Amino acid sequence: MFDRAKVVNDNFCNFLNGHLELSKKNLTCSPLEKSSLSQNELVDLLETQMMSRLLDIKSRELRKTGKSFYTIASSGHEGLSVVGLVSRLSDMGFLHYRDCALVIQRSKKLPGTTILNDLLCSFGATVKDPISGGRHKVLGSKELFLPPQTSTIASHLPKAVGAALSISRSKDLGVESEMPGDAVVFCTFGDASLNHASSQTSLNCAHWISYQNIPLPLVFICEDNGIGISVPSPTEWVKNSQSKSHSIKYFECDGLDLVDTFNATNKAFAYAREWKKPAFLRIKTVRLLGHAGSDIETAYRSISQIELSEEQDPLLKSASIVLQNEILSHAEILNMYEQLKNRIDRIARDTIKHDILKSADQIMEPITPNIKMKSSLPTACEELRMKTFGSDWEQVKNVVHPMGRLINFALTDLMLQYPGTVVLGEDVAKKGGVYHITAKLEKRFGRKRVFNSLLDETSILGTAIGLAHNGLTPIPEIQFLAYIHNAQDQLRGEAATLSFFSNNQFTNGMVIRVAGLAYQKGFGGHYHNDNSIAIFRDLPGVTLACPSNGEDAVKMMRTCVKEAHEFGKVFVFLEPIALYPIRDLHDKGDNEWCTKYPMNTDERIEIGDFHVQGESRDLCIVSYGNGYFLSQQAKNILQSRYKINIKLIDLRWLTSINESALCAELEKSRRVLIVDECRRSGSLSEGIMAMMLDHCTTMPETKRLCGHDSYIPLGDAANLVLPQTEDIIDAVVQLLGRDHD
Amino acid sequence: MTKKTAVVICPGRGTYGKAELGYLQKYHKNKKHFLGQLDFFRAEKGQMSIQELDAFENFSIKDHIPGENSASLIYGCSYSDYLDINTDKFDIVAITGNSMGWYIAAACAGALDRGSAINIINTMGSSQKDGLIGGQIVYPVVNTDWTKSESLNEILETKLKSVNLIPDHEAYISIHFGGLKVIGGNDLALKWLLKNLPPEQDRYPFRLPGNAAFHTPLLKETSDHAKTIMGAELLSAPKIPLIDGTGKIWQPYSTRSEDIWDYTLGSQVYDTYDFSKSIEVAIKEFAPDHLIITGPGMTLGGAVAQSLIKNDYKGLKNKEDFKQIQIDNPYVLAMADPKQRQLVL
Repeated sequence: MFDRAKVVNDNFCNFLNGHLELSKKNLTCSPLEKSSLSQNELVDLLETQMMSRLLDIKSRELRKTGKSFYTIASSGHEGLSVVGLVSRLSDMGFLHYRDCALVIQRSKKLPGTTILNDLLCSFGATVKDPISGGRHKVLGSKELFLPPQTSTIASHLPKAVGAALSISRSKDLGVESEMPGDAVVFCTFGDASLNHASSQTSLNCAHWISYQNIPLPLVFICEDNGIGISVPSPTEWVKNSQSKSHSIKYFECDGLDLVDTFNATNKAFAYAREWKKPAFLRIKTVRLLGHAGSDIETAYRSISQIELSEEQDPLLKSASIVLQNEILSHAEILNMYEQLKNRIDRIARDTIKHDILKSADQIMEPITPNIKMKSSLPTACEELRMKTFGSDWEQVKNVVHPMGRLINFALTDLMLQYPGTVVLGEDVAKKGGVYHITAKLEKRFGRKRVFNSLLDETSILGTAIGLAHNGLTPIPEIQFLAYIHNAQDQLRGEAATLSFFSNNQFTNGMVIRVAGLAYQKGFGGHYHNDNSIAIFRDLPGVTLACPSNGEDAVKMMRTCVKEAHEFGKVFVFLEPIALYPIRDLHDKGDNEWCTKYPMNTDERIEIGDFHVQGESRDLCIVSYGNGYFLSQQAKNILQSRYKINIKLIDLRWLTSINESALCAELEKSRRVLIVDECRRSGSLSEGIMAMMLDHCTTMPETKRLCGHDSYIPLGDAANLVLPQTEDIIDAVVQLLGRDHD
Repeated sequence: MTKKTAVVICPGRGTYGKAELGYLQKYHKNKKHFLGQLDFFRAEKGQMSIQELDAFENFSIKDHIPGENSASLIYGCSYSDYLDINTDKFDIVAITGNSMGWYIAAACAGALDRGSAINIINTMGSSQKDGLIGGQIVYPVVNTDWTKSESLNEILETKLKSVNLIPDHEAYISIHFGGLKVIGGNDLALKWLLKNLPPEQDRYPFRLPGNAAFHTPLLKETSDHAKTIMGAELLSAPKIPLIDGTGKIWQPYSTRSEDIWDYTLGSQVYDTYDFSKSIEVAIKEFAPDHLIITGPGMTLGGAVAQSLIKNDYKGLKNKEDFKQIQIDNPYVLAMADPKQRQLVL
């Protein structure tokens, strides 16, 4: 008998029909009379558990005819319904994929929700699925305050920390937020996922925050079914690894026993709510129906092991508790089960139709948040700006500065304009960031808005995502481009996908500042000069900005913060480190790479706007960042040395490129040189070549000048693998078929 | 024969009019026991017999409209209809109602026994006999083809905001009634709205005769009083799931009588009644083969159909679509309609 869904169903019915006797263990349960759980609540929880189970069974049945997808089940984890009962609707929850019962129970707090219908729509990937619009089976709901998660392997835990941190932080800042001051955040995950780096870093981050007595009302809920796909957890691993923390209080319960689960969950939530400290709640469960629909459990577990789990079915135990307390009879429980089964059959009949997404455009519609959810905010008045900038004010108004300083001014103005912005990262506070870009911000705006993180990029990005979930607009700083690679899942798997999987209902607008790219003088080495940006370029919905000069940086940053605030968009703002201090373009002291700060804060550069400098039918260089700076140098030399006039294009935005407009501009010249400081393979230059093939009516003669497919070595050797001014000159001369002097 | 499933919907006030005179005589001569019980209770209160009222030769505004009579008349007709549903043909999977129809639904579902139902319905119906507190008017938010009208909705919202800014004027959305909004308020506010809401579809806005400002905060005192004279023992868990005016489902095995009593005589009386939501929950969470609307009257059908259209149920987009399925294979069975009634018996 390999249809375990049928076995589990039959077991339950046979028990209620008197054809199956339970083991003594299953008959033993916590005394209801000693709990504050009422009889009615107990029956209500049992009903929820049945609903969840029957949905699992239905989903598998529908899968056989291709009408349901992603049949990962909640069976055995139905005790989590208690969390739905105990948590408040104002407590934000980030859920494990086995929490169907939790969602159902929570929905009962909000009259008028149609949870069975909604979940079945989700199973069938129909457009009427209220959370993802048919894009994915996710456990989430706008009205139930559950941002959707997909196949979570603890990647949602870092943002739970951020969301919990945001509760008191948003109140301190007086910013309108999603959660009230007495809310608790909770996140659920499996015992195997507990071992994941994302879990461990979240627990560590929570510990780190709470250890400093910073409010963090958060409940980590580990659903310990003792196995991760096919790998059993060592006995009592969760307890042994988690119960000894001084900053995260440990609770545990038998998730098969509703009364025990209720008592412990109540305590954990009360602790987190009252003390505003993190709690770790281990709920022991069993896993029924295998890992997922496609999992052949017998490949790694014997039938007797599977049967042993099935004997511990929480529904059997819950029914047993109800019977022992003489609340309902066997027949009444069975009647309830059958009525629910019929009901779910009917709903499935009506909902599971081929009402699916029909075009790529329809699918992609919510990839970039496009609903204005917050109004534009006015610029701060001159007096306030003057007061905030303090002794820098005259410098701000009257003196030319390089890029680094101008970004600092822009951040100051933006933090004045948008009270919900917060700056976080390693060293961003007193030190002012590794390159002093956030200098004085802590002094100007206080420690609640400008704060150091622990040394962990996953925590930085996760915290930022969580803060954004509660209405703040984070501006996290990643010290070096190479450092984001260990945390990229937070961007790729979480921040980037939120609006897509929630059909634009949840957003996490933020501007991730990344100091990056190469060409630093005197501070070499690969990790500080990384020149690979490929991970940002294939992220639908995320916009990558890369200014080449201070004035552009200011105006682009303004656009990013505005759109992150108003629409919830996610930006990566890639700042070329080497250009931070650069003042001169051609000659020492020419100050040509410095500009005055654009005082009018309405001056912005819109997404996709590229810059064209000069006219030339002969040749156009398209570049960005350092490459554009070097191309400017080359332009002058080409003019003076060879009397060659070229056109330059600075892309500024490395995604959301207006392809047709760019190509129209490029094909005005007979030759195009793409100067790309990143590695030849996987760099933007490849994309531009492809774009030109797609869009140009007459393809110009085109060459690429890129960084080598190498890591960046120390010292002057770095120049050997990166495009230099002379390389650009050579490439132009060659393209034009001219001889060198 | 395979049983069909159905959700039963009970009507509220204003459904026993001139056309319904004689409804009990026509359909329910065999309900002497139940109707006798109802009239016995009323006789003790010195109220007219509803069987006599139903037997009047002519409809009388004075006798048929006031709450103390109309509420019981509607209950008598609706509950009698409910008893006539052929349970060999239909498996009733949930029950709901509109406004006062909540009490009837509770009675049909067994959350109120007959005596308690008579008591509550009669008491709440008579609670205003010394003078109505405010009243109700009706205004549409759909076009004549029952598609959503953003402009009408905006007009109504704007006027509601405006009227509440005038001192001593008070008005609220009382019932979300499919494509119509019932607005409850005090007399000053209702008069202002009747004057200032642009005429629409030849009949709106109009005032519902004899109705108080139910489902608005103006009825809070009525609710408080009702709770002092009718205790929680009147209500119990339903035997069939009940869907209330917020869309909440009251389940047979998990309902606490204190909770359902608190809702019935509490927020149900003074908070907005979302009939549209109760229909949405009925169709999405119970997915019945049919919706059965008990009599008297035919006014509930439009609101039910408009709620179906709003939810894109069965692909219904407008009034024409609804009319067509009602011809082809009626989904909504109104027991006040002689032809559709036959399908239910």
